[in-house]
Amino acid sequence: MRQALTAVLERDTTFTGDFATEPYEAAWAGEARWFVNALGVSSGAVVRMVTQISPDGLTWCDLDGAEHEIAGPGLVAWPVSHFGQWLRMRGTVTGDDPSATLRIYLTAKS
Amino acid sequence: MTTSERPDTAAALRDAIVSADPRLSKFSPLRRILVHDDFNTGTHGWTELIGNYNGVGDLSTVDDHMRDFRPPQLSNCTFFDTGTHGAMSGSYALKLATRPYTGHTATAIRRLTMSGRGLLQIEAYLTFKSEATLGGEGQDQFGDVTWDGNLHPSEAQFGCFTVATDLCGDGGLRYHTVARYLNTTLDNNLARQWVYPTVPEPTPREHLEGKIKLAYAADFTAPNPEDWKPFGEPQELCYNEVPTKVNWHYLRWVIDTSARRNVELQFNDRIYDMSALPVPPYEERYDSLENLLNFYFSVRTHSGVRNFLFLDSVLISTEW
Repeated sequence: MRQALTAVLERDTTFTGDFATEPYEAAWAGEARWFVNALGVSSGAVVRMVTQISPDGLTWCDLDGAEHEIAGPGLVAWPVSHFGQWLRMRGTVTGDDPSATLRIYLTAKS
Repeated sequence: MTTSERPDTAAALRDAIVSADPRLSKFSPLRRILVHDDFNTGTHGWTELIGNYNGVGDLSTVDDHMRDFRPPQLSNCTFFDTGTHGAMSGSYALKLATRPYTGHTATAIRRLTMSGRGLLQIEAYLTFKSEATLGGEGQDQFGDVTWDGNLHPSEAQFGCFTVATDLCGDGGLRYHTVARYLNTTLDNNLARQWVYPTVPEPTPREHLEGKIKLAYAADFTAPNPEDWKPFGEPQELCYNEVPTKVNWHYLRWVIDTSARRNVELQFNDRIYDMSALPVPPYEERYDSLENLLNFYFSVRTHSGVRNFLFLDSVLISTEW
């Protein structure tokens, strides 16, 4: 049976600008997927998110050029593959009065 | 063979079997092995702790100091300088990681219930590290440690780690037994002292009843530093100088759920008699927790540097 694990990296956290999730180790996993549940987004605000990878948990680069957007409440998800030891997400909230309350899940599977 | 000889024969046979099994021979289990967790095959039920929330799933009702204990990770103990350490047994260990925020705590809890009363023992192989610091400037110093080629400032950046229970039974009587290794004081000086709390852990119900309101990153086990008292003499562990070398330590902790007391703590070559330490129960009785048997490990940073607790393996055994 394959191993699978879900980590809640942010739990209803309100972001108002640039952010990055805490480093999470997933070397054991062959595939992963982000789920971002936008519980509240201020009017006109947009959240842009990018997957980042790291060999040591200290230094980071983008995994690919893919930018994922949220402009209102709801769930978005995207797959992640060919990563290394660590995963995190960097993001930014923009707009006139930027604010977004997010629940961020990282799911990983061997 | 007489009937009276059978127990000794059984015990000898059992000891032989345990000692011949490399998975178990590094432990000294009591009669019944309840849990043997080797983190090469998943997290084995060790999960993030969270405070209670209301009946409509509104997580804003979770206490501030219990809403961000961070999910445990499966780590192969990889570091920037030498790559992968691996665990003591196989590749993976369970890793608890704090945020880089002074006072932040990460937890892993295992939830069971009691099918009897008596001696209860948890054993583990663990290690503790601060996150490595790269590219820093200025003085190569932290707390009361200045780098001298041997002692490393990283060691003063590690706050404390804790092993504890949450137990309830006998008509809703709830209590915690707790042992904490206080590596540094809150002002980052090396303490290397085992401590225990003299008060029960604040609960969400006490907050709801208006008795207590704790801030984010408060010490959830016992928030007032004055409520922690030392037991035994200071014990120096094997941090091994820098934040990227992993040496595994043995922990064996026995409690007695019949007497609702601690018994003893062994950490490497030291054994501490804990039997005289007070274990204050909650004054009120609790519903919904009959025979509660929870163990947790936690790690707390006093420095604002991420602190890690790595568990190679855990074994819980009982005499019931």
